[in-house]
Amino acid sequence: MKIIIAGAGSVGRYMAEQLSSTGNEVTLIDSDANAISRVNIAGVTVTLGDACEVDTLSKAGSSNADVVAAVTGDDEDNLVISLLAKQEFAVPRVVARVNNPNNEWMFNEMWGVDVAVSTPHLLTAMVEEAVSIGSLVRIMKFEHGKAQLAEVTLAAGSPAIGTRIADLGLPRETTVVAIMRDGHVLSPQADIPLHQGDEVVVLLTGDVEQDVRRVLIGNSAS
Amino acid sequence: MNIFRRQRSDSPVVEESVYPLIASLTPRSKTAIRGRVVRIVRQPTQGLPTLLVRIEDASGAATAVWLGRRSIGGLDLGRTVVIEGVPMTSATGLRFLNPAYTLLP
Repeated sequence: MKIIIAGAGSVGRYMAEQLSSTGNEVTLIDSDANAISRVNIAGVTVTLGDACEVDTLSKAGSSNADVVAAVTGDDEDNLVISLLAKQEFAVPRVVARVNNPNNEWMFNEMWGVDVAVSTPHLLTAMVEEAVSIGSLVRIMKFEHGKAQLAEVTLAAGSPAIGTRIADLGLPRETTVVAIMRDGHVLSPQADIPLHQGDEVVVLLTGDVEQDVRRVLIGNSAS
Repeated sequence: MNIFRRQRSDSPVVEESVYPLIASLTPRSKTAIRGRVVRIVRQPTQGLPTLLVRIEDASGAATAVWLGRRSIGGLDLGRTVVIEGVPMTSATGLRFLNPAYTLLP
């Protein structure tokens, strides 16, 4: 896949290295010659220029890129890059980094963003996950928020304990994608009974969060 | 717009032949099409106003999408327009995101 990464800071460089090592064609863009000079990754192409300008994006090959990732440290720049990638080059997948969580509401289709990744939000989710047993932790959103991945660690008293996945009565819009038990990932077959302490990872579409809480946490929980 | 004109010295330019047919468009390459507005849908996406305008020519149809707009003055059903932008493939055929537009009389 052809991937363009705007922003050759530590995030951009790391991504370029990872993605390139898995066989993708990666181009890094940055307007700072110093940042560009620090890029010394075999197989990664660099473009010196302002990614907020159509010419630079064009030079980097946006018209046949599969993915554009706007990962600069500046939310305004990331939004402009995303919009240009979508509007001027019809890039199928635009990923943008949210630096300030207060700006997250803007990272949507309006600005050409398909997937917004907010580091502070992810960190919060991870901390929440570590401290919360028996509550629903939203891990990630897809499809502009229409689908999300969430996780519940089954606390004592959860009505799901001892119930087989098939008998949980989860809404149709919900899929159990994995069960984590004692450090192992179990594939969620219909006849696996759930235990206390299981981490249940579910994919939800639509507005069914309440139903999932009811099934996996019970009525008393928030 | 001139770059899309295929001028022929021996015959006058026929309006319809100036623009490529919608059915012949290549996704992701900048182009301009000429067609008639056959459907206008106002459909908020994530609470944002979105205007979807279906444009048809002799060969097929494409959708122009304007985000953040509820209406465009003069862009009404039956109007012939020129849409200039980069088409992308979607489930409902080619889509132009926030294209430039010209209303024709």
